[in-house]
Amino acid sequence: MKRPVLVRRDRVLPGSQAFAFVAGLVVALLFGAILLIASGHDPIEVYGRMWSSSFGSTNGLGRTFNRAVPLALAGLAVAIAGTMGLWNIGAEGQILAGALGAAWVARIGETWSSPALITAMLVAGTIAGLVWALGPALAKAGLGVNEIITTLMLNEVAVRVVRYLLNGAWKDPASLNFPVAPKLPEAARLPGLFGRAHLGVVIALVVIALVAVVVNRSAWGYELRIAGSSGPAAAYAGISLKRKILTVLLVSGAIAGLGGAIELTGNAERITEGISNGYGFAGIIVAALALMRPWAIPAVAVVFGAVQVGGSSIQTLGVPASVADILQALILAGALIAGVLMAYRVRWVSTRAQDPSGDGLEAVAGV
Amino acid sequence: MTKLRRLLLLLAVFAMIAAGCGSDGGDSDSASTDDGATDESAEDDAMAEDDDAMAEDDAMAEDDGEGHSGGAADVIAAFIYIGPPGDAGWTFAHDEGRKAAEAATGATTLFIENVPEGTEDFANAARDFIENEGANLIVGTSFGYMDDMETLAGEYPDVVFEHISGFKSNDSNFGNTFGRMYEPRYLSGMAAASVSETGQLGYVAAFPIPEVIRGINAFTLGARAVNPDATVEVNWTATWFDPPVEGNSAQALIDAGADVIAMHQDSTAAGEVAEAAGVRWVSYNSDMSAFAPEAFVTAPVWDWGPRYTALIEAVGDGSYTPGGYWGGLSDGVVDLAPLADDVPADVAGQIDDLKGQIVDGSFHPFAGPVNDQDGNEVIADGETPDDGSLLGMDYFVEGVIGSAAG
Repeated sequence: MKRPVLVRRDRVLPGSQAFAFVAGLVVALLFGAILLIASGHDPIEVYGRMWSSSFGSTNGLGRTFNRAVPLALAGLAVAIAGTMGLWNIGAEGQILAGALGAAWVARIGETWSSPALITAMLVAGTIAGLVWALGPALAKAGLGVNEIITTLMLNEVAVRVVRYLLNGAWKDPASLNFPVAPKLPEAARLPGLFGRAHLGVVIALVVIALVAVVVNRSAWGYELRIAGSSGPAAAYAGISLKRKILTVLLVSGAIAGLGGAIELTGNAERITEGISNGYGFAGIIVAALALMRPWAIPAVAVVFGAVQVGGSSIQTLGVPASVADILQALILAGALIAGVLMAYRVRWVSTRAQDPSGDGLEAVAGV
Repeated sequence: MTKLRRLLLLLAVFAMIAAGCGSDGGDSDSASTDDGATDESAEDDAMAEDDDAMAEDDAMAEDDGEGHSGGAADVIAAFIYIGPPGDAGWTFAHDEGRKAAEAATGATTLFIENVPEGTEDFANAARDFIENEGANLIVGTSFGYMDDMETLAGEYPDVVFEHISGFKSNDSNFGNTFGRMYEPRYLSGMAAASVSETGQLGYVAAFPIPEVIRGINAFTLGARAVNPDATVEVNWTATWFDPPVEGNSAQALIDAGADVIAMHQDSTAAGEVAEAAGVRWVSYNSDMSAFAPEAFVTAPVWDWGPRYTALIEAVGDGSYTPGGYWGGLSDGVVDLAPLADDVPADVAGQIDDLKGQIVDGSFHPFAGPVNDQDGNEVIADGETPDDGSLLGMDYFVEGVIGSAAG
C-alpha cells in the first residue's frame, strides 16, 4: 500500500508564488468552464461579463477597488499578526467595531466640516478596532490564552452590540420602529476618486505601504519576523515576546477597524449589522494567498474583489447563484492549492514507512 | 449572508492550513527580504498599467439605454432577492409571483438571489440589470435595500423601482409594496388554538420589527378569540433564513410546553422539528404542508403574482404612479392556505366567515378593545388603529410571552 505525503521542496522555484497564483486561476477557470457548459451557459460570455464588470470598465474597476479596500485591510490585519505566527480571526468583529466607532463620531459631529468629520471618523474607527483587539491581546500576552478563540468569539459580541444599539439608543426616529440607524450626514461621505471608486482606495494603499516598510525595514518589523519564526530564539536575543504580541495584535485590530470606518464612510448609507459582510474571514484567505507579506496584499485583494464583483455580476446574466458561488470558490481554492504545491511536492510512500522528512501533511495539519 | 459567511469561513480555515505550509516554505527562503523589495515594484507597475487600461475603456462604460415604450411585453423586470428561490419561503413566494407575472404579461423577467443588505452588492446588481440587460423595472424584496433603491431611483429616472416591505417613496419612480399579512395571521391563530390541547402556542420569530410584531399580535388575538386563555411564547432567532437556528428555536418552544408552533421565518425547519416532536405547525409564506404533512395546520401565505402583473402592466403603459401599496385579503396578495382536516368544523366555519368580513371591511383583526402585554388598554373599544400605528407597532398584546424589544 502506498499513500501520498507532502514533502517540502528543496528549493523554492523562482517567481513561484506569482506563477502558482496564475496557474491556479487558469485551472480553476477551466474547471469552471466545464461547470458552466454543464449548466447550459456559454463560458466565453460568462467570463467576458466577469471581466468587463470587474476590470474592463471604469465603473467595474471602481467596484473592484472599493471591494478590495476592506478585503485588503482585513488581509493586512491578519497578515501582520501572521508575521508573528498569531491568528487574528476577529477582523470581522474589529471591522464592525471600527464602523461603530466611526458611526458614533458621525452622530456627534453632524455639524462639523466634511474633512474634519471624515478624519475623525477614520481615527475613531481605528481606535475602536484597536479596543476590540485589546482583550485578546492582553489575554494572549499576559496569560497565553489562545487568540484564535478569543478573537473569533468577539465577532459575535460585535454583531450583538450593533444590534443592541440599532434596537435601542441608535434607532432612527423616522424609521417607523424598524431597527435601523439614521442615515449618515452628507458630510460624512468619503469623496470619490474615479468612476465609483472612493478615496478609501488611496488610504488603504498608504496604510499597506507603511506597514510593508515597517515590517520589512524597521527594527520593530525585524524583531517581529524573528519572533514569528522562532519564539525561543527571539526571547534569547532579548526581544520581549509579550510586548510584541500585545502591540502586533493591537495594530492588527486597528487596521481592521480602519477598514470598517472606510467601509462606512465610503460605501454605506448607515451602519448595519451586515457591514462587515464576511470581509474579516475573507481577509484570512487574502493574507494566506499573500503569504502574510504586506506588499503582496493589494494584488491579492484586487483579484479577490474582482472575483466577488464578477461572481455577483454574472448572476444578472442568468447564471444561478450556486454556480457563481462554486466558480468563486474554485478560483480561490485553485490559487491556494497551487500555492501549496509550489512549496511542496507529493511523494508516494509505503504505509509502513515513517514520514521521510518529518514535515509531511500530518505535521502541517497540526499547525 | 450566513451562507456566504460559512463559505468564507470554510475557505478561511483551508487558507490557514495552506498558510501553515506556505510560511514554512517562506522561512527556508533566506533571501526573502530582497525578493520582497523587487516584487513590490513589479506590483506597482502592474497597478499603473491597470490604471491606463481603465482610462482607455472609459468610452465603453457609456450606457446604450433607450427608453422602453411599447406595452407590458416590452418591460424588462429585474428582481433582486435576499435569499434563494429554493427556500420554499419568502423568496420562493416572490419568485412564484415573478413567474406568474411573466406568464401573464409576456414581459422579460430576470432575477438575482442571495444579495446581502447594507453592502454595494445591491446597487451593483441593479446597475448591471439596468445598464447591461436594459431593465426598466427593478423590484427589491428586502427591507434593507431601501436606501439603495432611493438613491438609484434618483440616478435612473427612467427606471421604476418598487420596494417590498419598506416605507419610502418618491413622486415619480420609486414606490413601495407590502401586504396586510396580519389578516391571514389572525385567522391562522384561530386555527392554531383550535388544534392545541394545552393552549400554549409557540412562535419562532426573526427580528423585533413592526411587521413581525404585528403578525405575532394578530396571531395571538386570533388564538384568544377561539381560546381566551391561549398564550403565545415568542422565541427570537435574529435571522430570516437559517434552518438550524430556526429548528433549535422551535425545539426550545416545544420543550417549554408549546404544542403548536407558528413562525415568521423563511425556511421549513420549524415544521420539520414540529413533525418529529409530534406537535403542530403553522407555516408561513407558502403552503408548506408537503414538508410536515402531519404537523401542518395552515399558513398565512403570499401571492405576489397579481401585484407584479399589475406593476409590469403599469410600467408598460406608462401609468405607473409610486406610492404605498398595502394590499390585504381583499386584493389577494395575502391569503390563508387550506386548513388541516382536524380543525373543528365550527372553527373552520368561523374562519371562513371572518375572512369574508375582512374582505368586505366589516371586521378588522385589531378592532378594540386590545390590551397590551401588561394589561393596559392600547386600542379602545370600538376603535380600529390607522395604518400609521399598525406600521409602527412596537408592543405585544395580552397573551404574548416574550419581549417586543427582542
